[in-house]
Amino acid sequence: MTNADGEDRYLVALAVSSQDTAAFGELIRRHQSQVRNFLRKLCGDMTMADDLAQDCFMHAWNKLQTYSGRGSFIGWLLKVAYTTFLQSNRRSKRYGEILDEVGHVAETSESNYTLPAEEVSDLDKLLAVLTEEERAIMILSYACGLSHREIGEATAQPVGTIKSVIHRGKEKIRTSFGIKDYQHG
Amino acid sequence: MASKIINMADRIKDAEDRLLESIFVSTPIADDGFSDRVVRRIRRHIWIRRLTLPTAMFVGAAIASKPLMQLITVSASLLDVVLQEAITLPAIPLPQLPLILLGGALLVIAMLTVRMLEE
Repeated sequence: MTNADGEDRYLVALAVSSQDTAAFGELIRRHQSQVRNFLRKLCGDMTMADDLAQDCFMHAWNKLQTYSGRGSFIGWLLKVAYTTFLQSNRRSKRYGEILDEVGHVAETSESNYTLPAEEVSDLDKLLAVLTEEERAIMILSYACGLSHREIGEATAQPVGTIKSVIHRGKEKIRTSFGIKDYQHG
Repeated sequence: MASKIINMADRIKDAEDRLLESIFVSTPIADDGFSDRVVRRIRRHIWIRRLTLPTAMFVGAAIASKPLMQLITVSASLLDVVLQEAITLPAIPLPQLPLILLGGALLVIAMLTVRMLEE
């Protein structure tokens, strides 16, 4: 356990035991960057990602007592962020279906990763070829630095599935960008 | 031991992983009041939650006050009647009293038996 992990746990204990919003504020300050970066990469929309990040921290506050302290706090927080993202997606899909039923053309498509042409980076091109699930797992692995076990906990999937999703994601990237197997030249 | 091997396998990174990490790397996002906004939102929610119950109780009491007063008036007059009858009760003993006592005792025994069986 690192020093930062210990401090996180202390702040969580403070926030839970005495409903200390200042302690939770400190936790937000420590982890907002990673959570917002994760959500920005996941949905490709900065404003939406920041709204989701706010919702994520609200959910985290309400569910803080469920954090057992076994894994890292950031791992738990990213799990809440991913759940918040999925819930928001489900909601917008439902509204989209309702709008479709009444014959209205929805402004935004479900979760398509689309950005204005001038803002498209290498990473955006790379993420665009992945499915939502692959994108989330690849970001958790390569951007957030979570271990396979932590990603498994965050996405509620077995470690074997995580490994195969990462493998599949890499394969898709290689195929889409005409890259030969990196390891073997 | 097995978990250590799994963890080690997790950490072994090839060149491709390192390349992906360099592509995925992101610059830290400045707080710029984000955490304060969230904390303010949380505090607002706490206040709303704290005020909801007392407000609901106050509104409920306001709505129920009139029928409640009527109920109290009726109960008071009923209590008067019951008290008057209770004073005269020892003179007229209940004929069903032994039967009620027996039924109660049987009920207690049955409940205890069921509890013992459950244990």
